[in-house]
Amino acid sequence: MTTVFKSAVKLKEVAKRYADVVAVDYVDLDVRKGEIFGLLGPNGSGKSTLLKLILGLVKPDAGFVNVLGIEAAENPVAIKAQAGYVPEVPRLYEFLTGMEYLDFTADLYNVGITEKKARISEYLKALELEGREGDMISAYSLGMKQKTALISAFVHRPQLLLLDEPLSGLDPRSAKIIKDLLRELASKGVTTILSTHILEIAQAMCDRIAIMYEGRLLAIGSMEELRAKARLPGSNLEEIFLTLTGTSDIRDVVEALME
Amino acid sequence: MNWHHVLKLISVDIKSGRLIRGQRLRRYRESRVLQYVMYGGSCLLGIAVGLLVGTVYSGVTDPEMKTGLLLNVKVLFIAAPTLVLTYSLIFTMMRQIQRAGITASIQPPYWLPITWGEHTLAAIVANLIGVQLAALLAIVSTIGTVSIFLGETPLAALTIFALLAVALLASATTEIFRILQVRLTGAVYKTSGKAAIWVRFFGSLLLFIAFYAVYFFFTSGANFVAIIDVFASGQTTVWFIPYLWLGMALFSFMNSRVVDTALFSLGALAFLGALFTVAVKLNSRFGLYEPPAIRISREAYAPRPSIWSRLGFSLPEAAIMRKDFRAFTRRRELMYFFVLPILITMIFVMSLTRTPYFEASSVFSALILLVPGASMALMLGSVIIGQEGAPVWHLSSSPVAAESLVKCKFAFIVIFSCAVTLACSIVGILIVRPSPTLMLAALIESIFLIISLSAVSLGAGIKGASFVEVPRPRMISPRAGLINTITCALLAGVILAPLIPYAGAMLGLLDPPSQSYTSLALAVSGAIAAIVTYGFYRIAVKNAEDLLAEVDT
Repeated sequence: MTTVFKSAVKLKEVAKRYADVVAVDYVDLDVRKGEIFGLLGPNGSGKSTLLKLILGLVKPDAGFVNVLGIEAAENPVAIKAQAGYVPEVPRLYEFLTGMEYLDFTADLYNVGITEKKARISEYLKALELEGREGDMISAYSLGMKQKTALISAFVHRPQLLLLDEPLSGLDPRSAKIIKDLLRELASKGVTTILSTHILEIAQAMCDRIAIMYEGRLLAIGSMEELRAKARLPGSNLEEIFLTLTGTSDIRDVVEALME
Repeated sequence: MNWHHVLKLISVDIKSGRLIRGQRLRRYRESRVLQYVMYGGSCLLGIAVGLLVGTVYSGVTDPEMKTGLLLNVKVLFIAAPTLVLTYSLIFTMMRQIQRAGITASIQPPYWLPITWGEHTLAAIVANLIGVQLAALLAIVSTIGTVSIFLGETPLAALTIFALLAVALLASATTEIFRILQVRLTGAVYKTSGKAAIWVRFFGSLLLFIAFYAVYFFFTSGANFVAIIDVFASGQTTVWFIPYLWLGMALFSFMNSRVVDTALFSLGALAFLGALFTVAVKLNSRFGLYEPPAIRISREAYAPRPSIWSRLGFSLPEAAIMRKDFRAFTRRRELMYFFVLPILITMIFVMSLTRTPYFEASSVFSALILLVPGASMALMLGSVIIGQEGAPVWHLSSSPVAAESLVKCKFAFIVIFSCAVTLACSIVGILIVRPSPTLMLAALIESIFLIISLSAVSLGAGIKGASFVEVPRPRMISPRAGLINTITCALLAGVILAPLIPYAGAMLGLLDPPSQSYTSLALAVSGAIAAIVTYGFYRIAVKNAEDLLAEVDT
């Protein structure tokens, strides 16, 4: 049941709780096609769970999830086929070499042999992993593992990218390449939803940003819209974030620690 | 040497050992009093046995008998160090094999202000703590108590010293082996290519087989008294082996050769010191689990269709099967799955060679053909999903349907188990030479069992999958594992039931059934297996749907 939607991702009244902990608290969200959408929030605010709900890795307790015009409850496999996902801590198969791993993930997405070879080689070169693809993943540094996970998310040319802390552990050059690549993909209609703690990245990269706190979306919008909502004209994202999440008492905390 | 550090490291080692064995850290288990109950109990048991033996000895009035008893006890004293050495080696190595593959348990905290000497000493002592120490304390207490009645206190004191030293010798040797193993597997761990895979596979296999061959040699059906005699008399002919010097010291002491006693004792202590130094040096060089990478080979990247794709599996299914094959040939914790069928075959063969009716033991030959494949199917099915561990998110986040997942996992288990059956059958057939009818019937039944038990175990393995990796990969919940084993045993019985008259005839309890009965029994057995397979395969698919819908590690 695929129809043409302007929204890439649409969530309606979606809720998820783990025992007594409310991870996502009746969230409504509409992410447009070709948009880079940032999810901001303190640790444990529900960002990762929200990404998992979108991809169908966890079932919502309530609400509806529609991704690329497909109802998540009806055909999760079809959604996964069009999405690329990098979890917060990408645990890879450490007993495989980097190349074997990328070969494996490309096959999972049914990428043909010729395209697979071309794309993997291209990404390995771009992210400076060329020459190390024959090593076991267990020998990789954190950044190299992150690059490998990112390549595996890009290799099947997905329409939707769900990236949890995508730039974590990357060197500045690789981070810049990923940022430019996401911008390029967005111009071609690929939607990216990324969660991050790094406010500068969100401010620089994202078309719109959602600030999450205790499972709720406190604010959604462009930088201008967020400034207006926080009533902080000319402010940066850090000030907006701290104001909206009520954590502006940081000075008191630091002073208490120093005593 | 900071003894406080050593004690702390020992306690950490003990705790990690308990976690690896799957024990939860409960408050009562952490009680020091309770921890010492086992050792106190062992001492009390040893004293009680010593009192009993001593009282019996005191009650003997016949001087000739008394002399004979005393001589036997002295022989036991002399043999004791070598016996303790053997069992300490076996137990400490078993403990290390159990812990193999668990990085956290053997990775020394090198960033803390601890010396390699402290770490090595703690590892050597901690390796002895537990059942080994309890047994040692019981033996030592017995010897000490008995010696009072025998009037052989100096010999007993020397024996006790020898026993404690020999236990440390065994543990130091195990520590050296452990570091070398870390070095070897660590070096191969980071390499790739076919050569590395086979080195890893055959290396691990050889280690297990060699260890268990020695273990079974000492434990299966051997006469204890004969072993003592061999040790007591044999060690004098191989006096140049340093491991036997403590036994030699006791032998010399018994024969009043003071200089020899001193030389052998000091030599043994020097040897212990040398082993400790070697262990420290090796630890400081190779002790870390992940040494610098070594590259054995690097092939140019040339993706090509795999054999699985040619057999009709889709790209994702073939990719999962290829990945699973690599997992089972590269991950050390999965090596046990290769070892078990080999062990089963070894046990059968060793039992067979001891039976007087070697050629007639058709039941054994049927079991060699039936058991390894069926047990492999049971085990593989129950862990094939759980072994994915934390990276299971790849399966849940990719467009792999439940049917595909079950299909490729099921095919993998069946193919792998059939290969094991084939290998074990060749060994069994060569050794036992069963009749063609028996061979054919057993092979057909083995295939029935493999296919049906694979479906049963896979269903349970998916339902009870445990992706917990710390402190060790769990793979399946204990409850699901138990239920699966019982279910498989019952269903195997049902599938094999039509062949009961045939088995009865093999045992000589019933008249041999006709050829047509055998064919009919096989057909009925096949029909039961087909029904079981179909039913449990559907259950596995349903369980896989549930798993993929919500797998959150």
